[in-house]
Amino acid sequence: MTDLLAIFIGMALINNFVLVKFLGLCPFFGVSKKLTNAFSMSMAVTFVMLMASAVTWPITHYILIPLDAEYLRTVVYILVIATLVQIIELFIMRTNYSLYSAFGIYLALITTNCAVMGVTLVNTDEGFTFVESMVSALGAGTGFGLVLVLMSGIRERLEISQLPDSMKGLPVAFLVAALMGLAFSGFAGMV
Amino acid sequence: MDLLITIVLIAAIGLLCGLAIYIVYISVPHKVPGLKKIDEINKLLPGMNCGACGYAGCFAFAQQVVNNPQLAASASCPVLLGDSHVVKQLEVALGVTIDADAMSKKAMVRCTGASEQVFEYTGIPSCKAAILIARGFKRCPFACLGMGDCERVCKYDAITIDPEKRTAHIDYVKCTGCGLCAKECPQKLIEMVPGRTTIAFRCNYPELKNIPGRERCENACIHCRKCFKACRYEAISWKKEQAVPEFHPEKCTLCGECIEVCPNRTLEFFKPGFGK
Repeated sequence: MTDLLAIFIGMALINNFVLVKFLGLCPFFGVSKKLTNAFSMSMAVTFVMLMASAVTWPITHYILIPLDAEYLRTVVYILVIATLVQIIELFIMRTNYSLYSAFGIYLALITTNCAVMGVTLVNTDEGFTFVESMVSALGAGTGFGLVLVLMSGIRERLEISQLPDSMKGLPVAFLVAALMGLAFSGFAGMV
Repeated sequence: MDLLITIVLIAAIGLLCGLAIYIVYISVPHKVPGLKKIDEINKLLPGMNCGACGYAGCFAFAQQVVNNPQLAASASCPVLLGDSHVVKQLEVALGVTIDADAMSKKAMVRCTGASEQVFEYTGIPSCKAAILIARGFKRCPFACLGMGDCERVCKYDAITIDPEKRTAHIDYVKCTGCGLCAKECPQKLIEMVPGRTTIAFRCNYPELKNIPGRERCENACIHCRKCFKACRYEAISWKKEQAVPEFHPEKCTLCGECIEVCPNRTLEFFKPGFGK
């Protein structure tokens, strides 16, 4: 149990995907303008991370490792995650349309999100068991969501503050991201 | 040997993935009735997702309308009502009649912004912030401050700010009546008036009593009731306890006599080019 908690905290805070590992930076800057959008994006990412981890774990352990073909994991993971997202999208569209429209474009965007790819690769690298990889995916998604929501809150406040013209929009977002990264580096060595 | 394994493995996984998608595609039932119809309606809508219809966006509105066509006749998309061509298409698609004239609305700023500025405001450039300090920097506590909150929220570029008079101006033609600006204005100055409105009354001073400041505004209503007396068609009524006149556009003949007699030019024709 402590191990699982350590993995969760490690993925969510210490090795935060956005601020420490620099994965998933496109949604971090692209979808963090509004709090509501950021929240739904992070929910969708967490969901897909969990599903992707659940699917790639058996593939790694029952197909790639017995065949001694672990070097293929990148391309196989891309293939599997893309398929998975397509299937989920189709399924949600057919069964629960309001959920589908709530996800909107985000679900399709996540197909190529490097954070999702990253969490599956980390799971394989660390040699996690199935339960451990699920917890790590949950932690990674939570960390991603936390940072995205924090960032969008800051950016909503920045909208009404007076800035020099050259700093408006992305430039100041980059600075804010750097400061947030510094703050998160304080978590290093916690576990 | 390695190469062979690679090729076979990738091909097999690729095929499996394709197969999985195909199986899901044919096996999960199409549970969304009328998706095609919703899509068809959605294409007719403006696609700005302004939310004026009361639903989360154009698509959500299309969904509701397909389920209940009568909705389009009672509480339709105000943006769409300005375009008679699209209204006709919508009528055909849904099989209802839409009285576009009765439902269309326009935003009107009920202030000319003529009230004198009493101090220089240098804080956050937003009406919501400016209003917190002594009820705004103008003499009249109900005046348009012109910091552009409404301009920023307008999705149709219909609002411009006059930097000298510090007041908002809404383009009569570009305004679609979505009502976003009316919700945004902290002074509650912007009123959604029916599209048939002919005369604009541009003073927001709500009380009968003369609070200092009104007489300093060159466009303020001074309750002289000259417009009420001048109208020969009973298109203006003014009850004793009311601070403002009431207009009845269906009786108005656009003669303009009320506008001529108004000593402070509070009244104006509500038509294209209004407010300039």
